[in-house]
Amino acid sequence: MGRLIKAEFRKTLTLNTWWILLIPLVVVSFWMSFAWGNITNDFASYIGSGIARELAASIGLSPDNLPVGLLAISHGVNITQLIPAVFGVFALAGEYNSKTITTTFLTAPNRVSALTAKMISYIAWGALYGLLSFGVAALATVITVDSPGQPSGGQWLGALGGTILAYILVTLFGIGLGAVLNKVVLAVLLVIGYFLIIENVLVLVLWKWASVLGGILPNGTANGIVGGIAAEAFGFNSLNIPGDTGHFDQLGLQLAAGAPGVISWWASALIFAGWTAVFFVGGWLSNQKRDIT
Amino acid sequence: MQHDGSGRIAVQNLSKHFGPVAAVQNLSFTVEPGSVTGFLGPNGAGKTTTLRMLLGLVTPSSGVATINGRTHDQLGNPATVVGSVLENEGFHPKRSALNHLRVYAAAIGVPDRRAEEVLGLVGLSSAAHRRAGDFSLGMRQRLALATALLGNPQVLVLDEPANGLDPEGIVWLRNFLRAYAREGRTVLVSSHLLSEVEQTIDQVVIISAGMTRYFGSLEQLRQGQRSRVLVQPSDAGELVKALQENGITQLEPTQDGRVAVSGATVQQIGDIASKAGVALYGMQEERADLEQLFFQLTQGQYSAPQPQYGQPPQQGGWGGPPSGPQQQQQYPPNYQQQQPPPGHQQPGQQGGGWGGQG
Repeated sequence: MGRLIKAEFRKTLTLNTWWILLIPLVVVSFWMSFAWGNITNDFASYIGSGIARELAASIGLSPDNLPVGLLAISHGVNITQLIPAVFGVFALAGEYNSKTITTTFLTAPNRVSALTAKMISYIAWGALYGLLSFGVAALATVITVDSPGQPSGGQWLGALGGTILAYILVTLFGIGLGAVLNKVVLAVLLVIGYFLIIENVLVLVLWKWASVLGGILPNGTANGIVGGIAAEAFGFNSLNIPGDTGHFDQLGLQLAAGAPGVISWWASALIFAGWTAVFFVGGWLSNQKRDIT
Repeated sequence: MQHDGSGRIAVQNLSKHFGPVAAVQNLSFTVEPGSVTGFLGPNGAGKTTTLRMLLGLVTPSSGVATINGRTHDQLGNPATVVGSVLENEGFHPKRSALNHLRVYAAAIGVPDRRAEEVLGLVGLSSAAHRRAGDFSLGMRQRLALATALLGNPQVLVLDEPANGLDPEGIVWLRNFLRAYAREGRTVLVSSHLLSEVEQTIDQVVIISAGMTRYFGSLEQLRQGQRSRVLVQPSDAGELVKALQENGITQLEPTQDGRVAVSGATVQQIGDIASKAGVALYGMQEERADLEQLFFQLTQGQYSAPQPQYGQPPQQGGWGGPPSGPQQQQQYPPNYQQQQPPPGHQQPGQQGGGWGGQG
């Protein structure tokens, strides 16, 4: 297995995709967090009024001391989750595209070991992407957010762990989707179109009737891991919203955390792990038997 | 699980259906080490599918294909047992030749210097840092062969390796494969052209329409062919009559007015003609070439579902055990269908031939 994992790393490192994708990851993650970091200082003032004040008071927080920095990080790392997803698509569908899958299967003891090696090496890649994305998002947050709004040490660690977990899952999700569709271009377009547009539109349009969608669909749950950590720090998650708060106030607050409809960070992680498993297992099974002609 | 190390390829009752299409039907043959075996059949005969089943890339519908007594997924580290060159496969266009080999050297577990070694073996050392996407077809074939050799395998399987090679490359490949087999290893090489591999192979498996037509040594196949003598007599009718009286009955007219005699030597024909008082202006011994035989063995793939190979009476069990090469070579039907020149026809005979046709 060690041999095959080494081969997988060589495959990635001998092409340019891995570092080319890092460019938008670093740039977008930084600027998204930078922009939100600037907004959150204002957001803290918004929190200090109306419904938000009640909310904050209900969990015993002074609006001035809310860790709004978490919101900045959450937005930065969530938007760039698209990148490890695209990277994951190339892992297997890309090998079918260039037909290197033939040699990959011919040089592995069997397909289970070839796919397992791929999974393990891409878990490492997902973690690395997550670490980098978190690093630049944290940097932007430290630069922009006033010190009362900075997260506590535990919250920093929680956000880091959540980011890495989310990035690993998203990478595996991309592998699975690519493997099921077996077409690189289609899978990439679908990932970007769905995560960026389709699901967001769906959640907002159907919010009135099915506010649960954002808490269970792939994009919502992927965002909900780090977003949920941020939301929890504010008591924004839907379980804690006081009864007299309207649907749209709740949505607005959760949107601010970058995770509309989020249930909780761990529920999001579990549900998104489920989505990942569906695609990953589907892709795995179809590869186990697929004729390479 | 350990393979037996024999170097033997065994294909037993192998079948593959792609939906309603039967690509391979009940194919059986074995390939022994120490020789180069040709795997021949027209395009679409099922060669590639068979090789891919052998290599574990395609799952058989039924039957089994083994190397060293094991299926590909039971070989342990398969690339150290079998290396393969498949058509047009397996390189990322943006990866350099050396990096491509280093990836798979890692997967097989051989040291990195092996990647440079095999590049040298196939004559690509100077192109090591060029991207595979910039390679010519011939260079890609060499790189594919280099990949196959990484694990120093006992068995080499090549699918149409001559495609894209220039004449010099073909000669080089031929010598390489023959040397490889001489080391006691197994080489199986597919082609749709017998002439392309005729000088490379010792053994041959011929398939058509997904079924085995022949397998055995190429030498036996050659010997199994009967020669015929083309005779230009002063009087064809007299000669035919004389020959028939002497029990030589496999006679056919040729387009240029000569008589084609099978089953007799030049000396016999000369003696008989002399006794009959027929002058002979020329005799030429002719062996039907292997390509013609190959064509006959594989024809009908596109014309009839159950083609008849070699007409009766001597049906010699095509595709039988390796000991049974076809003994009775029949000329293709067009030999009998030719119209004889005027004046050669025997009374009472219609169409071609002088009676007693074989």
